Amino acid sequence: MMESKDLIRLIYNSIGIMTPFLLAAIGGLFTELAGILNIALEGLILIGAFFSVIFVAFTDSLFYGILLGILASMVVALIFGIVSLYLRANIFVSGLATNLFASGITIVLAFHFFGTKGNIIFKNVPKLPRFSSAFFQKIPIIGDTLVGQNILVYLSWLIVVIAIIIIYKTPYGFRLRGIGLNPGVISSLGFDLRKYRLSAILISGFTCGLAGAFLTIDLGAFVPNVSAGRGWIALVAIYLGNRNPLGIVIASFVFGFAESISNYMQGAVNVPTDFVLAFPYLVTVLAMIFYSIWRHAKEE
Amino acid sequence: MNIKIKKTNDLIVNTLGLAITLGISIIIAIILIFILSEEPRRTIYYFFIGPFANKYYFGNMLDAAMPLIFTGIGISIAFKSSVFNLGGEGQVYSGALVATIVCLALSHANGFIGGFLALLSAFFVGALLGGLSGLFKMKWDTNELISSFLISNAVILIVNYFITGPLDDPKNYLLATYAIPFQYHLPKILLPSNLNMGIVFAILTAFLGYFLMFYSHWGYEMKMCGLNREFSRYGGIKVSNYYILPMFLSGALHGLAGGVSVLGTYHMCIKEFSFGMGWNGIAVALIARNNPLGVLLSALFFAYLNAGAKAAMINSDVTFELVNVVQSVIFYLVTAQAIYDIIRYKIKRD
Repeated sequence: MMESKDLIRLIYNSIGIMTPFLLAAIGGLFTELAGILNIALEGLILIGAFFSVIFVAFTDSLFYGILLGILASMVVALIFGIVSLYLRANIFVSGLATNLFASGITIVLAFHFFGTKGNIIFKNVPKLPRFSSAFFQKIPIIGDTLVGQNILVYLSWLIVVIAIIIIYKTPYGFRLRGIGLNPGVISSLGFDLRKYRLSAILISGFTCGLAGAFLTIDLGAFVPNVSAGRGWIALVAIYLGNRNPLGIVIASFVFGFAESISNYMQGAVNVPTDFVLAFPYLVTVLAMIFYSIWRHAKEE
Repeated sequence: MNIKIKKTNDLIVNTLGLAITLGISIIIAIILIFILSEEPRRTIYYFFIGPFANKYYFGNMLDAAMPLIFTGIGISIAFKSSVFNLGGEGQVYSGALVATIVCLALSHANGFIGGFLALLSAFFVGALLGGLSGLFKMKWDTNELISSFLISNAVILIVNYFITGPLDDPKNYLLATYAIPFQYHLPKILLPSNLNMGIVFAILTAFLGYFLMFYSHWGYEMKMCGLNREFSRYGGIKVSNYYILPMFLSGALHGLAGGVSVLGTYHMCIKEFSFGMGWNGIAVALIARNNPLGVLLSALFFAYLNAGAKAAMINSDVTFELVNVVQSVIFYLVTAQAIYDIIRYKIKRD
């Protein structure tokens, strides 16, 4: 059976794995609060993943490379936003368009610049710095699982804190939540709904870009369609987290844990890889169904 | 009289809007080719003329339209009822696998009976996958858009397991199952291309879908639910049925797309062969404004783009995924209301 050392390892891994879910879901929370079902998260993650690893390789700088990767993701988010809000396209369809665009353009550019549609490996991309602090170490029981994660993990926690402040403590956050609850009221107060929604979409572009960077930088490589459904799972995390940041943290951890277990099974038990890969999706869809049953029961 | 004028006006606006959308996508295709290709003129030639170069390319283009007709109608039925089926990819793929399994299991049965059973199973496996999301939606208000997508993604991986695991034929050099027995192959139409009787099934399905949607009681109730569920409830329609039924039919048509592709075109289930059929079905339905007969044309257009990209890839120096970028432009613009408003405004002013 599993020992406590293994369990700590499992949780440590989960905290790493949950990071892209968490980042994408926190960004997606802004759009969700503004009344937009943002299915473009998936594509935005992919764009961030592709461009951040390439720009890190070209600029030889983690900071500038990731920044440019985020910028690329925000540019695509801007296109998505303009088409949906100003050209008034159906938001699901333009979200799908964004995902299709992301998966197409990354492969086209990879083929054009690197001559391959497979994995692109960069030798000069450094690993993300890891961070150890005595402060985390002192926390009982879970301390060991929090220490030594890479810098983006801690950054994602900081982003959660900032998101909580923005959403609950600023006029911007109040208005954004108001739009989701009753757009008519906010617009009758003289605020331009589209600007608020566009800003929320751009925020989701920012966090998804970072989520993408997390996927490729430590790997030092771009793998086609590396986002692998994470944007969709993040979307479910927003619902399961009851549309609030702390709930999203918990939901993301659950999905991180599910994936971490499936990685563990791959090594420990003789289960076909495809089943192992399907496991996070099954967990997600089951979680979603249980959540809606629970909510349904509560309403009645 | 006024109503008639409004109708013709709408038709003009829609057609013009669509022409603008498709025109922009073609212009973007040309710009991309000029940026990406070393020999842009050759690439453009193959991209646009390639599909008509000979019987082989032309027949294959028509054959590629066949599954898109099925998936396009499947999506239209769902959209008309205002439910979203984003699980198309997995539904097509699992339909293909199940049809293959039935054919392999009945290796000595009569071609008609066995083939019919194979397609029936493909129909029902797709229907089951789609219908599940409809059921969850009806019972607990689970978002069908996300649930269908997630179920589909899990199913794709499980299908992959069967193709590369227990059903993998070690003798072929593909990641593919054993080939289905000869008696199940649908007759070819335009040799040497892959075009086969499946296209006839697809066209018949389009007419059937048209009849169902516009001239049947079911179709009427489904459309009413799509327009306004509360109103339909007051009108005495049992609205809860119209979450499951559209998803069920939508999934079923996707399953058929996979099944007919195996019996008609591929004669085995090849890993990832159906990728894109589900997503493209959505674009095909949107371009056709959810009209099954319109789907025939828009599926052909999408097949043309795909065939062009394939010809350009084989004969020149661009990669096939270029077409995904072009298709995403169509996706972006096809529902953009602003385009239609501008046209309406121009027409009114003149």
